[in-house]
Amino acid sequence: MEAEDLGLPPKGGMDLPEDGVDPPEQKISPGCTETGEDELIVALDKQVELSAAQNNGPLSVADGKVDVQEELSEAREESSEKDLSDSASTDNTLEDSCEFSRPLVMGGGPSEEEEVAAQPRPATHRDEDVTAESWRAHRKHVFVLSEAGKPIYSRYGNEEALSSTMGVMMALVSFIQSGDNSIRSIYSDDRKLVFVQQGPLVLVSVSSTLQSEQQLRQELLYVYDQIISMLTQASITRIFERKKNYDLRRLLTGSEKILDRLLNLVESDPCFLLGAVRCLPLQPPLRDSLGSLLQKAITPNLVFSILVARSQLVTTVQEKTVIDDCRLEPTDLHLLLNLIGATSAFQTGEIWTPICLPRFNPDCYFYAYISYLDADCTVCLILLSTDKESFYSVSDCKKRIEEGMRTQNYLQALSSGLKSPSYSVGMVGAPDLRHFIYKPLDIPDNYRQLPQFTSPELEGPYCSESERHRLFDLYHYLHSRIHSTLRPLRLIYHVAEKETLLAWVTSKFELYTCFSPLVTKAGAINILTKLLRWIKKEEDRLFIRYPPKYSTTPNPGKGSKGVRTDGAENGFFGGL
Amino acid sequence: MKPDGKVVLLGDVNVGKTSLLHRYMERRFQGTVSTVGGAFFLKQWGPHHISLWDTAGREQFHGLGSMYCRGAAAVILTYDVTNFQSVVELEDRFLALTDTANRDCIFAVVGNKVDLTDACACVPEAEDGHLSEKPISSSVPTKVKKQVRMDDAIAFYKKILKYKMMDEKDAPAAEKMCFETSAKSGYMVDQLFETVFDMVVPTILEQKAEGSSQTVDLHNYKTAKNTQPGCCR
Repeated sequence: MEAEDLGLPPKGGMDLPEDGVDPPEQKISPGCTETGEDELIVALDKQVELSAAQNNGPLSVADGKVDVQEELSEAREESSEKDLSDSASTDNTLEDSCEFSRPLVMGGGPSEEEEVAAQPRPATHRDEDVTAESWRAHRKHVFVLSEAGKPIYSRYGNEEALSSTMGVMMALVSFIQSGDNSIRSIYSDDRKLVFVQQGPLVLVSVSSTLQSEQQLRQELLYVYDQIISMLTQASITRIFERKKNYDLRRLLTGSEKILDRLLNLVESDPCFLLGAVRCLPLQPPLRDSLGSLLQKAITPNLVFSILVARSQLVTTVQEKTVIDDCRLEPTDLHLLLNLIGATSAFQTGEIWTPICLPRFNPDCYFYAYISYLDADCTVCLILLSTDKESFYSVSDCKKRIEEGMRTQNYLQALSSGLKSPSYSVGMVGAPDLRHFIYKPLDIPDNYRQLPQFTSPELEGPYCSESERHRLFDLYHYLHSRIHSTLRPLRLIYHVAEKETLLAWVTSKFELYTCFSPLVTKAGAINILTKLLRWIKKEEDRLFIRYPPKYSTTPNPGKGSKGVRTDGAENGFFGGL
Repeated sequence: MKPDGKVVLLGDVNVGKTSLLHRYMERRFQGTVSTVGGAFFLKQWGPHHISLWDTAGREQFHGLGSMYCRGAAAVILTYDVTNFQSVVELEDRFLALTDTANRDCIFAVVGNKVDLTDACACVPEAEDGHLSEKPISSSVPTKVKKQVRMDDAIAFYKKILKYKMMDEKDAPAAEKMCFETSAKSGYMVDQLFETVFDMVVPTILEQKAEGSSQTVDLHNYKTAKNTQPGCCR
């Protein structure tokens, strides 16, 4: 089913595996010594054999965990076509079979999805019965708990009802910890459990997707960062220093939706996977004029001005003093956009809220001004200031921007671009090409640009949620092979059951493509050439090639007068 | 154009502050999600521009409350009639935030979500110490028991005046300033906002006469600079 071709495209020194056997990269994680993992596996094995539930010390706590795990896997086993009876402790041989059976599992995926979807779902995930079969059947669970074992968040079901499950998770973590070690992951035949500890918080992912441990870990870090973006790391640390068993849900009530939305996005939007932002395709002159409009509408302590349309970046301008050390991180922007997307949108209202950009500085708040510029709430202006009291002056900036956009008719120009959702893959003119994700690595001024990517609308067979999940599972899989820490690949040609995929990384781009299943290798290469040519032709429209100048750069003719330098420095560095 | 007067909506999470404002401003009810920080709206009221601040009820944003309240001419304290705790929270958490409001700030106490209870408007007359509706009458599954009576609201209003050290005679009457509303049906929503705005107007005029130095004051901001620890300022 799976073929990784050796002598494929013209370029790039390739490091391809000879067969499908993966090195034990997925088995025992680097930070975990063998003893720790072994002990755990012994515990797992014991439970599998004895299935006794006795309570003596840490081992039996681990037992309890296995119960959960076993139940989880049972639910899956029934519908999965996979035939793997190996227990969690089997080594490389298991990895082999896993590797080969992968396409099969993917084939089995959709039917299972449909089964799940056919069952009536409760109104909200919060009310789900955590003892029900359907709860266990979810593709991916995410739990957040405090070091004291207090539940903070669960993706499905009520955290309260899961407190004993989370207690077991914490017991596992602290049991391994007591041996001066840290638990990173547990593998069962069809689930991966990934643990991440960040300060006083423990995050756990239980997944049956094809994502690698590394990718799951990355997702958990996104969840952590989203929590930080609302509370800051400093305050979480402080809270738990004062009171170990503090119930963090008090501070996060109402934020569950933000985390729910994030987890859905992470599974369906490549921006998180690639760590890059999606730009709204736009004619460069229009993008430039919008940029200079933002650049002119400034006030002291205004650090970032960001214009987005339907969660796609139009343009962003940032304060000169910021850029010297760092730039706006894509993660921060994604988390910010997720937060905005999960909040009520009113055209008439202007939101003023503290927000932390965790990758920029996890301990401080920015004050975000958020306002929609059109009646449909699609074009959104975000202004980030370091001055809590500057609402009215920042609001005034918005008025100037709005005015400028009105007089120049930019809004119409923007919204005409928004009517058609993104663009169709058909524009490339290659019928066998179904979808692609392209991340350029050769953008000019790369050091001060946000990493970007482009990708057409999902069409054709990928209309249903389950099909989309299936495609993204495949992309995740290719991404994990390409970015594997032990054996990174430059190129991978993957024949799946219903499509053929090709991923390719060079010094200039990272590309994932999806073809119809009947494409030949030569055909795929031809299409690839065509696609790259098309992207080259369109790159000025698809990407922000030349970012607007900093808002304080003394740059004659660009309109900034350097008024902000003094005030901004005070405000900005004062905050740090 | 600076707003002339400031009205702030305060209250616990999920009592319906945003919905109330949305009903009033956009004339419809729409399921909303939890507000982050605060949202600013500008309302034309006669010749005046009144700024309305819809704040987040989440404890996470608690530190900001006093910022939104600074120089407020009126504060609308909102609770959920089906949740007694929401009144307790008003007293425990939110009342202190109004310290930064104007000295002659007007208070309104609003119980939202009366549409969820079976007996809406007939409560103020009930003096028998029991809830006006009986458990058996709430046989319709969607109706829930009302936990907060109008009397409780009035008692709370008097507590506010005491806290603010205002004489009951000088302040607007409790009966006038306590409302029960439904953002869903629109019941009493307009009356609430219109009453508050009308009462804010004299304050605005007074301020204008004084030289409009302290409308929505960005001028006093230095005093509160250090309230949020660990923040960018």
